[in-house]
Amino acid sequence: MNGITATWLLTVRAFRESLKQPANELPNAFIPLFFYVVTVGAIGSVAQNAFGVADYKGFQLPVAVLQGAAGVANGAGLAMTLDIQSGYFEKLALTSTPRLAIVLGRMLADAIKAVILAGAIIVLALLYGSEFKTGIPGMAVLMAATFGFALAYSGIGVAIALKTGSPQAAQAGFIVFFPLLFLAPTFAPIEVFAAWLEAVARLNPVTYILLGMRSLVTEGWDAAALAKGGVAVLAIGAVTLTLTLLALRSRVRQ
Amino acid sequence: MLAIEATGLTKHFGPTIRAVDGIDLRVEEGQIFGFLGQNGSGKTTTVRMLATLTRPTAGTARVAGVDVLANPAEVRRRVGVALQEVGLDELQTGRELLELQGRLFGQSAREARERAAHLLEVVGLADVADRPIRGYSGGTKRRLDLACALVHGPRVVFLDEPTTGLDPVSRDAVWRYIEELNRGQGVTVFLTTQYLEEADRLADTVAIMDQGKIVAQGPPGELKASIGTDSIMLTFEAEESAARAAAVLGQFEGVQRVLTSGQEVAVYLHDGASAVAAIVRLLDEAGAPAQTLVLKQPTLDDVFLQVTGHHLDVEDARPAAPSSGRNA
Ligand SMILES: Nc1ncnc2c1ncn2[C@@H]1O[C@H](COP(=O)(O)OP(=O)(O)OP(=O)(O)O)[C@@H](O)[C@H]1O
Ligand SMILES: [Mg+2]
Repeated sequence: MNGITATWLLTVRAFRESLKQPANELPNAFIPLFFYVVTVGAIGSVAQNAFGVADYKGFQLPVAVLQGAAGVANGAGLAMTLDIQSGYFEKLALTSTPRLAIVLGRMLADAIKAVILAGAIIVLALLYGSEFKTGIPGMAVLMAATFGFALAYSGIGVAIALKTGSPQAAQAGFIVFFPLLFLAPTFAPIEVFAAWLEAVARLNPVTYILLGMRSLVTEGWDAAALAKGGVAVLAIGAVTLTLTLLALRSRVRQ
Repeated sequence: MLAIEATGLTKHFGPTIRAVDGIDLRVEEGQIFGFLGQNGSGKTTTVRMLATLTRPTAGTARVAGVDVLANPAEVRRRVGVALQEVGLDELQTGRELLELQGRLFGQSAREARERAAHLLEVVGLADVADRPIRGYSGGTKRRLDLACALVHGPRVVFLDEPTTGLDPVSRDAVWRYIEELNRGQGVTVFLTTQYLEEADRLADTVAIMDQGKIVAQGPPGELKASIGTDSIMLTFEAEESAARAAAVLGQFEGVQRVLTSGQEVAVYLHDGASAVAAIVRLLDEAGAPAQTLVLKQPTLDDVFLQVTGHHLDVEDARPAAPSSGRNA
């Protein structure tokens, strides 16, 4: 069976799963929006004086998008463990489909969900009064970046799921990686960070993804920022995809 | 051509567990091959190796003419597998699951739809096909799982304990279905089971597994014949006629032993079936006609006992075996 068609069929299956149990997706939408509104409400009015950010709603928008994408992208790993435990993973592995398609189908579904959520967050943020400097084309770029980030990020949970088959481990893995989202200029510009945090943030690829996305919202087209963000997405993706492939190998060749 | 051929097939888990310990298999095309053994004897591990799910520690195997190590994807295209534990996604409906399975084997949307509808009909699931699998009963799930194994029309099918846990009616339905698959469509069936009567009824050839090794292999009839002795149990009107009959039967060709107990006589001999008519005639002539006559042939259980030293130990469906047979 052709790998692309198979991946797509399995993406559709994963997607249908979400439609069948929409309640599972609600927290993924609620949590980033909640933090967005609360953070803007708490810090928005002093951001200008405290660290020179005029449009804090725009400043926080990509944070909400990344947080949402990370939450959504956690789903693939968990769902994969359920497939492994139910034996359905092996049923799929017994078809003539390339086994990578079984994994990519899940990850792709999450990436698409993350893009949909990003769209919803942008619309709500605009209604809330945020600006978006690069307009519709910039929004498209932001959504594309979200797609890449979610795809790459979901690889963490999927790799752990394939390696361990345990939902707890997949969940724990997520918790270990979640801080990456906050060891970045999430609440304030990197320039105001304590020296140690700035050093950590500069090593964190999420920082560059966030800055690239933020430039689209609050500054306008900034090729350098976008390029760095793109490289960061590819770097995370390269690592997680490698881990996923290794974990897949160890699972299907035991 | 051989449908399944394995040489020295071995699977060790860690340094101590020899789940499968160097087995040789030759299964002719079009056969039902019964793979018999008790819990932990290595049946599932063997199936998983032949079905490309588990990598052998050593040995080689060809299934449907293809090497399982060299070309696992092609093996998967040619074989159908229903594992011991059903593996279903409970959120999909039976129809969705079957159609997806078909498409993942490369069928077009239309082919997959038609094939799924046909199989749902065949396994008797047409009326629940559009409900989520979550709500299916255990037996229904098992039948769906079986249908999944057949979705791409495989020439070789592995069924790992397909009837364990089924009620007698469902078990019978599965048996008839396996027979139809084999006799009607010529599909080679590799069937693992803990039920002697299942192997006896369905299998052309039986292999008995014990602790990772094949300890006996052959057609059930031959295996039973290798045990040697049939017995004929006779009862008579009176002790006196029983004694007369015993004396006569002692002279009969092929009889190994005659035991008398009151009005009953037990005769042990080779090939009882072909001797029955002659014995009845002989007793009539001797003026000691038997009132009842029961011919008992060795069962696969006797074979099992002889080659393993213990009875086949199955928790359900039969009275407990002697304690020597228990291993856990
Ligand atoms: N993944 C594994 N890791 C370690 N040991 C295993 C594994 N799979 C099977 N075993 C062991 O290998 C032996 C054979 O197991 P297997 O499942 O093949 O037996 P079986 O004949 O199918 O038993 P049953 O009738 O209970 O299904 C058992 O001792 C089992 O505990
Ligand atoms: Mg088993």
